[in-house]
Amino acid sequence: MKRITIDPITRLEGHGKIQIFLDTEGDVANAYLQIPELRGFERFCVGRPAEEMPRITNRICGVCPEAHHMAATKALDDLYGIEPSSAVQKLRELFYMAFYVTDHTTHFYALGGPDFVLGPDAPPAERNILGVIHKVGVEIGKQVIDCRMRNHGVIKLLGGRGVHPVAGLPGGWSKALSEEDRVKVEAIAKENVAFAQFSLKLFDDIVLGNKKYVDLVCSDAYSHSTYSMGMVDSSNRVNFYDGLIRVVDPEGKEVLLYHPKDYAEHIGERVEPWTYLKVPYLKDIGWQGYTDGADSGVYTATPLSRLNVSDSMATPLAQEAFERFYETLGTGKVDGRYRPVHFRLATHWARLVELLYAAERMLELSQDEEITDPNLRPQVTNTPRMGIGSVEAPRGTLTHHYTTDENGILTGVNLIVGTTNNYAAIAMSIKKAAMSLIHAGVIVTEGLLNRVEMAFRSYDPCMSCATHSLPGQMPLELTIRDADGNIIQELSQYVGSEA
Amino acid sequence: MRTLIIGMGNPILTDDGVGVKVARVLTEHLAGRSQIKIAEACTGGLRIMEMALGYDRVVLIDAICRKGGRPGVFHRMTLADIARMSPTQNMASAHDTSLITALEMGKKLGLELPGEWIIYAVDVDDIHDFSRHLTPEVARAVPRLTQTILDDLGIASAA
Repeated sequence: MKRITIDPITRLEGHGKIQIFLDTEGDVANAYLQIPELRGFERFCVGRPAEEMPRITNRICGVCPEAHHMAATKALDDLYGIEPSSAVQKLRELFYMAFYVTDHTTHFYALGGPDFVLGPDAPPAERNILGVIHKVGVEIGKQVIDCRMRNHGVIKLLGGRGVHPVAGLPGGWSKALSEEDRVKVEAIAKENVAFAQFSLKLFDDIVLGNKKYVDLVCSDAYSHSTYSMGMVDSSNRVNFYDGLIRVVDPEGKEVLLYHPKDYAEHIGERVEPWTYLKVPYLKDIGWQGYTDGADSGVYTATPLSRLNVSDSMATPLAQEAFERFYETLGTGKVDGRYRPVHFRLATHWARLVELLYAAERMLELSQDEEITDPNLRPQVTNTPRMGIGSVEAPRGTLTHHYTTDENGILTGVNLIVGTTNNYAAIAMSIKKAAMSLIHAGVIVTEGLLNRVEMAFRSYDPCMSCATHSLPGQMPLELTIRDADGNIIQELSQYVGSEA
Repeated sequence: MRTLIIGMGNPILTDDGVGVKVARVLTEHLAGRSQIKIAEACTGGLRIMEMALGYDRVVLIDAICRKGGRPGVFHRMTLADIARMSPTQNMASAHDTSLITALEMGKKLGLELPGEWIIYAVDVDDIHDFSRHLTPEVARAVPRLTQTILDDLGIASAA
């Protein structure tokens, strides 16, 4: 069996590695995304007071500390049995929308977007934000930086600190919003709405206006018919901050609607020999392997799947964008709601629909009369035991689960992080893209390999790795196993090292 | 000269936190100096570039994994060194670009970027286990590196 290893993954957090296993015919047998293990997080947490978790867990990931901060804070609400006031909920959600605007903007312009704006066959050195600026103009770069910086300002203002927020309390929030600052946040939210509309227009012009790209988005190589998961409000609309978890089948029929606390009843976790990460699947459907269809418990939790599980969007402009998305790519409605779209590359478009929703929701919240309520710290009186909190992280449903003794000292910690939900689907997408592009006798060129990368990049994968060692020194570890799973050789080297 | 010192890394991931630890020690030595600001970051290029706007000089302190690197040994580097080391010009962050790309972008946009970048890279041992503590060799490098940076900035140690 011949192995092709794509390493380093040019724009992926940490030291991930894709492995493609070829059979003797030179066709693809299997493909996996492997990532390094970060060890001992639970052991690190056990014995500490649970109320430290919003500040500890936001350190496990340098990419979305805000999502961990919020999931941890909500787990504390549950742990201490305090229902936050509506003012607290709104202020937290306002903070969270500022984070979403920043995160989705960065992904589209710096990571996912370059594949489309520059084209999938452009050299890797050009497929970055510099290439986008070169093609679309300097003004776009200024807008991206402005958007990031103004929303980082809001995150700092509301979260109490820039990169690692500190404001979350059990049932509360430690940073109130003054009227003077509210006015500033409202103005920023308005700019965000305009920027999101502009971004959707850009996608329209560059991708939808180009038949080659539309064909690529809709091609079978990037399509998987799986279950979709996402958080919805009481009207089955997309919600990032709070709600129930809804799962729909590949045809769009609701199969599950559960409280995040009940995740363990519905989500099973498989152990595989090739990764330390557990691979989640829908228990109610069962595990049938890495395969599509209604009989397979594989699901995704991404911007695309969040739109797929929702009946509509909660804000007017995002609703328009939502309808346009499904009218363009979908196959009509069943029982009054759009059938799911399964083109994985459409996730980039779905992300922009969500960007517009986050911006509009931020504006609504900034204009809410409760948003400047200074009473944000409830009394904590209940004895803690167990708490579960969930939010939609940009990369999928994020769940924190803590158990403590009666003094609130942690005895157990379990996290299901966003990307993990998509682990099975990512492996499937890599394999399928590889299968359609690598055949016996076909030379594997840079463009082909990039298309394989495109397959997983739409998931925006992040494996909670906050290791930021200096660039170009990524450890590459290779393990070769025989058919019985025995290790026959281990190699390691450092990619890009001068040493 | 307005100087920004950034300790990079994750302070609860063993040696990955060495940059942050050095920055915290420097904070004690540099208290009260209005021209020097000390920050912590565990982010990639764009965020670093944005943080640096308006400063004349930036000192970055980070961990490095090198083949044959001896834990605790540190290196003074330039942007050119970093650019040469990174094979793709995309620092491996899911949500950011490389520092080199980000700085090129900043230049194209006409942003007020610092003229001087000094990068201290510390060879590390363990960056995969959660712990607040550095491994012994890397921990021993902290006071030496702190002193080196103070000398570099032309500041007499307060300790």
